[in-house]
Amino acid sequence: MTISSYSERPGAAIDKVDGLSVPWSRPSARRKGISARAVSAVTILLVLAAWALSARLQLVSPVFLPSPAAVWNKFIVVIKDGFVDATLLQHAVASLGRVFAALVAALLIGVPVGLVIGISTVGRGIFDPLLEFLRPIPPLAYLPLVIIWFGIGEPSKILVIAIAMLAPVALSTASGVRGVSKERVNAARSLGATRAQVVRHVILPSALPSILTGLRIALGAGWSTLVAAELVAATRGLGFMIQSAAQFLVTDVVIMGILVIAAIAFVLEFTIRRIERALVPWAGLE
Amino acid sequence: MPHLVLDKVSIHYDGQAAPAVERVSIDVAKGDFVVLVGRSGCGKTSLLNVAAGLVTPSRGLASTNGRPITGPGSDRAVVFQNDALFPWLTARENVAFALRLRGVRQAERARRADELLGLVKLGDAGDKRIWELSGGMRQRVGLARALAAEPQFLLLDEPLGALDALTRERMQTTLLDLWTASHVGVLMVTHGIEEALVLATRIVVLAPGPGRVVRSFEPGFSRRYAAGEAIRSIKTDPAFAAARGELTDAIFEGEAA
Repeated sequence: MTISSYSERPGAAIDKVDGLSVPWSRPSARRKGISARAVSAVTILLVLAAWALSARLQLVSPVFLPSPAAVWNKFIVVIKDGFVDATLLQHAVASLGRVFAALVAALLIGVPVGLVIGISTVGRGIFDPLLEFLRPIPPLAYLPLVIIWFGIGEPSKILVIAIAMLAPVALSTASGVRGVSKERVNAARSLGATRAQVVRHVILPSALPSILTGLRIALGAGWSTLVAAELVAATRGLGFMIQSAAQFLVTDVVIMGILVIAAIAFVLEFTIRRIERALVPWAGLE
Repeated sequence: MPHLVLDKVSIHYDGQAAPAVERVSIDVAKGDFVVLVGRSGCGKTSLLNVAAGLVTPSRGLASTNGRPITGPGSDRAVVFQNDALFPWLTARENVAFALRLRGVRQAERARRADELLGLVKLGDAGDKRIWELSGGMRQRVGLARALAAEPQFLLLDEPLGALDALTRERMQTTLLDLWTASHVGVLMVTHGIEEALVLATRIVVLAPGPGRVVRSFEPGFSRRYAAGEAIRSIKTDPAFAAARGELTDAIFEGEAA
């Protein structure tokens, strides 16, 4: 290829770059060539096709890999008749209830803790090591201790999820607080704001985008802790449903449960992004 | 008569060998428009921050009406170069911020805010969000917000620094209009030589290393504007060009060639 023929299409190189989903490039709705969304759709279809094909050809025993159709049928059956004494909706509501109860607890504790970390050096000294200690521990590791201390009831399950949510909420809040523009704080003080008013009217709203990001991460973390939280003495919940199904080798329910958990996680993520856009439309515009 | 006084103020930041500012005295009375100019590093912004109560001088005394300045206060409202507006509030709510802090009722707040927005010629922008406004409009909201606190003094830290040349020019007259309408004393920091001449009743020229006062001018052009003369006619006056040369010389005096 000669240089002149290359320069005839100066956009060629740029088109290629746009085809990738570079995190800082905004996904453009309409563009010649291939969009990332189309590629994703094709990928999903291919995975489904491979799944259906291997099930049809019986490459793997249906006990281990039921066909997509079988999973779909199970989905309908469990919605209507239920599995282990509860319908799919009841399982989902039980799980969502735990996650949201944990979220409320994590926000009630995490946001003030994050504020204190961001505002005061002493607060940072106290809470930073505690959170950094808590953050990397997998839920399955502290689950036994929580059960020893708090029993096998509902509070333990909520607590396990809340612990997983606490660090993201607190650390995001703290980073938001530390990122508050100094000029904004000084402007408020020179307009007569007391320290408490600066926190209430400037720092909290300034940190809101970060707090919401923390909430989104926390919800993801909490949702993925669900199965662990429902390991012991649950009678309802998606995680419980999957585990019971696994014990009886009902693989189609296991796979269906996984897909439902994924779908709910997707909807939650999407909803929170919508809430973010409605609540903090200025984020990223300054 | 309200007085903002910096009396032989020195500012020595922690961990720095030399003081940033040494023994600078500045006096702003009600109705004054004092402008600080000087090369980078002469400590103009540091001095403004002392007046704002955001920086404590290492020596000397800053006071308003004879009372030492111990912190920021709404008697000295500050407007920064980056407007520092609150994006989660509308323009009107931004302007009403100081009133909200004082617990003024919603309806009264809105009335006062709209009045001030009208004063900065943004009467119909009250419901706009901050990010919908241009740089010049944002800076006008910032001025209105500062005036809503009913300060005795306005402290302006390069308020027009981030604006384009044409907007800047227009904002100069807006500033003068506000100054004459509100009867506040203004202390302003700027890099703009012409801006200083147009606005100031007194220009204080500072030199760096350490920051100190080298000259003081009383140009008087802003009084002429306040008396009704058009800004164009002032700027084309030969006296204006002469003052401009003199001020430029004063600023660059003593600088190594």
